[in-house]
Amino acid sequence: MVKVTFVQPDGSEETIDAAPGQSMMEAAQASGIRGIVADCGGNCSCGTCRVFVAPEWRARTGTASELELDMLEMHEERQDGERLCCQITLADDLTGVRVAVPKSQF
Amino acid sequence: MQTLAQLNLPHLAVEDAAFAADPVSHFREARKTNPWIAASDIGYWVHDYQAIRDLLSQDDKFRPAYDGIVEIMGARGTPWGRFTEEQLISLPPEQHAALRTTFARKFTPRFANQLRPMMRETITRMLDEWAPRERFDFEEFAANFPITIMFTLVGAPVEEIPGIRSSLETLGLAFSMDKSRIPEIHEGYERLERLVQRIIAERRASPDKGTRGDLLDLLIETGDEGNVPERQLQDLVIFFFVAGYDTSKNVLTYTLRLLLDRPDLYERCARDHEYCRKVLDESLRLFNPGSVPRFTDQDVVYRDVLIPKDTMIWFTLNISGRDETAFEDADTFDPDREIDPATRPIPFSLGKHMCLGQHIARAQLQEALHQIAQRLHDPQLAGEYGWRPYPGAWGLKGLPIAFTPTDKTPEPA
Repeated sequence: MVKVTFVQPDGSEETIDAAPGQSMMEAAQASGIRGIVADCGGNCSCGTCRVFVAPEWRARTGTASELELDMLEMHEERQDGERLCCQITLADDLTGVRVAVPKSQF
Repeated sequence: MQTLAQLNLPHLAVEDAAFAADPVSHFREARKTNPWIAASDIGYWVHDYQAIRDLLSQDDKFRPAYDGIVEIMGARGTPWGRFTEEQLISLPPEQHAALRTTFARKFTPRFANQLRPMMRETITRMLDEWAPRERFDFEEFAANFPITIMFTLVGAPVEEIPGIRSSLETLGLAFSMDKSRIPEIHEGYERLERLVQRIIAERRASPDKGTRGDLLDLLIETGDEGNVPERQLQDLVIFFFVAGYDTSKNVLTYTLRLLLDRPDLYERCARDHEYCRKVLDESLRLFNPGSVPRFTDQDVVYRDVLIPKDTMIWFTLNISGRDETAFEDADTFDPDREIDPATRPIPFSLGKHMCLGQHIARAQLQEALHQIAQRLHDPQLAGEYGWRPYPGAWGLKGLPIAFTPTDKTPEPA
């Protein structure tokens, strides 16, 4: 299993166990993580599953694709390490990954 | 567990004019008999916000039911019937995913943001022409905005706007399930199809093909790179027109109707571009044109009810934001209300069929509202208005207003 920690805007943390091969969004939805809206169900067309990947994990989560970057432009406040977590596929080498959930997805 | 047929469900006359004038009250009354689903002559209606969210996001269990509409309308084998059954949203899952992925980059927030200067120029030009009249039918004014944007995006000749607008008005009524409209639906569709085929063919033959950088160039280029058949490219452009016309027009018209009762918020829209976005989000919660039809693709069990495979179900996106079990003060227009992620309004649907054009729609509505509020001062309702049929592209029919024109642009807040 892959351990993923979501840090909420109030500082509280939730760590979940996810199956490798799932997207981080699917894992978050399955565990009821607050703030991961994902209206489009993982099709990279709504931009509502944004997270901020902790700096030490960015090399392993990879960088956003062009389509993902174009989608992220819907958000006025941009931040380093932002990704749409429907585009991050979980693998064993990501166990322990930490991401922050934004105050709002809209 | 009960089957759907065993339930005592309220029956809704969704085709009636009285229903279209006030569907919220009808659904609230229906809720007293069953809290989430009702029946009608054209299928079942899921009207509870949470039920819509729970079911509509299950892409593996539902498929779009546009073939069912063609069947009900007796239009199988006609050009409009073919288009309706083969348009992007109706394609089998693999084809839909491939085509949608191919074109998705042309419908992102970044692309929509790049279009904002053109959107501002378009609405400004329209206001220069219309504002001196001091009174007009706002719905008619609003109708010219999205269609002018769409014509600009695909380089279509503007002198054809009135004819195509007439076609789109007719096609917007196609899902009202009124078979008497079939001849005009066919005529309207064929006019639109001819335009789309011609502009694509002319662009392909043009020496400046690929150099304009407009949406048509991008779609042709992307389609060619992805080996998209010409028929599918044409269907996508037709779909772009059909899906983008009376959706945006009806939302803009309803938003102004709301603001006529809130001059304080309207004035703020003139000063505050960002606030226009909040106003539109709240307007889209209270109203949007769409109720989306689906077939169950397998037996589905929900809330201990078995819904058999191939059952036609409509999901009422358009009034889902008025569900009092999900939204506090559901009928109150309050752009400053806090949005709970768990009850985020869903005007653009959910799942893999979520509206591809939503970012363009949001951008053009925001740009339009900001400019309108600056140029049409103190608008007042100046007559009666009606309602379009509820199934399909629902919305206001006419919105006569009187106002004081101004060409002054207030300072930003």
